[in-house]
Amino acid sequence: MIRASSATVHFPGTRMVMGAVCVLAAWQGLAAATTGALLVAGPLEVINHIAENAGLYARAVGVTLSSAAWGFLLGNLAAVVLAALAILRPRAQGVISGLALLTFCLPLVATGPILRVVFGPGEGPQITLAALAVYYTTYISVLVGLRAVPATWLDLVTSYGRGRGTALWRVQAYAALPYLVSGLQIAAPAAILGALVGEFTGAERGLGVLTLQAMRDLDVTATWAIASLAAVLSIMLHAGIGWIANRVLNEEPPLILAPPVARGKPNYSRSGAATGALTALIALSLWWGIAEISQLSSFFFKRPDDVWVFLVSSDTAAQNRAELTASGLETARALLPGYFAGLGAGAGLAILLTLVPGLSSVAMPIAIALRAAPIVTTAPLLVLVVGRGAVGSAVLVAVMVFFPVLIACLHGLSRAPGQVLDVMDSYAAGRWRTLIYARLPAMLPAFFGAARMTVPAAVLAVTVVEWLATGRGLGALMALSASLSNYGMLWSVTLVVAVSAVAGYAAVARLERAVLSVFASEQVQ
Amino acid sequence: MTQSFSVSRRRFLGATLAGAGAAALLPSAKLYAQTSIRMQLSWLHSVQFAGSYIAQDDGFWSDQGLDVALDAGGPNAPVEPPVVAGTALVGISAADYTAAAVENGAPFKILAVAMQKNPFVITSLPENPVNEPGDLEGKRIGMALANAPVLEALATLNDFDASAVEVVPTQYSAAPLLAGEVDCLLSWETDLPVAMAVQGVESQTMLMADFGYAVHSQTYIATEAAIAERRNEIVALLRGEAQGWDLYRADTAAAARRTVDRFPDQGLDLAVQELQAERQVPLMFSELTDAHGFGWFTDETVASNIETLALLGRKITPELWDRSILEEVHGA
Repeated sequence: MIRASSATVHFPGTRMVMGAVCVLAAWQGLAAATTGALLVAGPLEVINHIAENAGLYARAVGVTLSSAAWGFLLGNLAAVVLAALAILRPRAQGVISGLALLTFCLPLVATGPILRVVFGPGEGPQITLAALAVYYTTYISVLVGLRAVPATWLDLVTSYGRGRGTALWRVQAYAALPYLVSGLQIAAPAAILGALVGEFTGAERGLGVLTLQAMRDLDVTATWAIASLAAVLSIMLHAGIGWIANRVLNEEPPLILAPPVARGKPNYSRSGAATGALTALIALSLWWGIAEISQLSSFFFKRPDDVWVFLVSSDTAAQNRAELTASGLETARALLPGYFAGLGAGAGLAILLTLVPGLSSVAMPIAIALRAAPIVTTAPLLVLVVGRGAVGSAVLVAVMVFFPVLIACLHGLSRAPGQVLDVMDSYAAGRWRTLIYARLPAMLPAFFGAARMTVPAAVLAVTVVEWLATGRGLGALMALSASLSNYGMLWSVTLVVAVSAVAGYAAVARLERAVLSVFASEQVQ
Repeated sequence: MTQSFSVSRRRFLGATLAGAGAAALLPSAKLYAQTSIRMQLSWLHSVQFAGSYIAQDDGFWSDQGLDVALDAGGPNAPVEPPVVAGTALVGISAADYTAAAVENGAPFKILAVAMQKNPFVITSLPENPVNEPGDLEGKRIGMALANAPVLEALATLNDFDASAVEVVPTQYSAAPLLAGEVDCLLSWETDLPVAMAVQGVESQTMLMADFGYAVHSQTYIATEAAIAERRNEIVALLRGEAQGWDLYRADTAAAARRTVDRFPDQGLDLAVQELQAERQVPLMFSELTDAHGFGWFTDETVASNIETLALLGRKITPELWDRSILEEVHGA
């Protein structure tokens, strides 16, 4: 049925190696050209530096990997349990998904210090942030996988008089395995990023600690060495999980970036608005409940009513809102252009690579390296290279968005139905017409799925770069509020960021439904 | 982690042996009378806190029955919440941050001042130097926008026109200065200029404290409740600090070496730590501390702090400071 074009999705190995060599050579050239500016360290220096300090880096990698691994384990476990719950209780699915998304959209810059206070010294925040960074993508993957079962199989289970639990365990769990694997592949680099950010909250050791020290000491070689190490680790974990999956599973992991936009909708009878309201209510109750049960001081752990007072009913509320709005607009000015540029670049490159497959050997290594290097290590470097202000932040957002969109679009483009391509072929339609009439419509569902899922990633990117590099917008406001003990502001920003990210996600989903009902009506029920 | 583990083990051993009537075998009765407390540092482990490491390693705290764990800070680790929450008995803050926290409802007192002079400097390159505040007019300064009030305070204190200085928002890095994007940077005396010097770049620093910018830094804070209820422990903690820092001052190179050896996983550079240790001394020790002891402050220094903090938009009273603990420490 599907005529996968091997040229776009499977890259020839030798070319890939040559591409990587070209990239390394260009990197070394850039380092040589900027000697003395304390900006770029070339790959040779980096390798040399790591070799000279092998013990130090091995220990740091061990510490960070251990936090990341615990977070990876706990986060993915939570994701699987949540997905199973959502399948067993279809009516609750909308609310579970909504809460999961909202939690995923909480900005790391704000959750870090709060987790540190809650956990005290130790690895609590690192592990929790790693778990928070992974669970949502796995949840989505497993949910799609659990649903990817022919209805007749479930009917068979029912006709034997068995219930939902049996169906879930005996049938759906097996169907979901490949989907779980693809979720785990995305999760591995995310767990490392979460652990690194956790280490910024007062850890004693790890790659995050070394990053901070290197930046403070203007040690450019060490900064690049850590970014490279983290990138290589991420790539290896991603590939390693794929390799294990290949040996264990018969089929290749599917590519999941988002659930089909409206699948499962018939499962719950509530309207979207009612689900949204219920989700918000539960979220508020949870927030209140956690605050009351844990008895955390309201000096830094603000309750919903504190935020209400801060933003609405206090004397300085108008001033607080104005400050928040000004920073929010500043963030939006970096976020939106970056987001759309990332979408455009991802889709554009995917189309280009479909038309000129030979380019992929150079383009893919750059794309993978850019994406795999954790943003906390690359943000300051990128800003040094591309400049401060809105442009620097926008570029970083674009980088975060670009790669998932590229991969999704490549996949979508390759999934144009074989018969359609055959018809185009037999009429000698040519590459362009085939692209426009057959491949692009096939790409749209994947493109929109990626566009939705990258909304939280883009928000994460812009707040991190504002915090660590440009010192503007909501990211900087969160950091400043924490250092000045203005926790009313910190919680308000957190709330605004999380709700905006969810709203952005919902807006893309709406657009998606409208577009797909025209171009791919089979995707919308 | 390891610290508290070994303490509980020691305690356990002590209790068991004592219970078996073998207390006489213990080398010292102090061992099982140790009280565990935590101090929250304001940054990652480095020579910035070397006096505390010396106090810990040389037993200045354990001799007084105190087992102190030093919790590292970081860019995303505010000091005030763990002190409010009671996780840490004492935290290392600065007068401006403490004042902000008190405005937001934290019941803090400043007990001692490690950095008598605020470490803020204007860092420039020798060929285009900023030697005094007036030189800033017409220059481009790189700093976080959040620090704009600091520049304005300096302008008010020294009668120059802050609007004649072009503020370029930068991250905390020397790169914009080296690239010529700015003429000077707002930094600490003890970090960017030190790193630049070790990288072979000479720089000029103008210490803002020498031009009226009086904000106590690296201050020891505790809550009013802790001061009332755990006074003896706080006195013992600060006594150990004072002993540790006096030893630090006597040989900063040794302190730097000890710091690097103590934290092999921090990626500390010995040359950077040595220079930083040296440059910290004039900020931490003065005629005032020579006369009265480490961490000292007077009504006059508090008054000038209040004046500068008012320029930064903080309204505070002398009640924010409490010298009674320090008086006990130094036997005044």
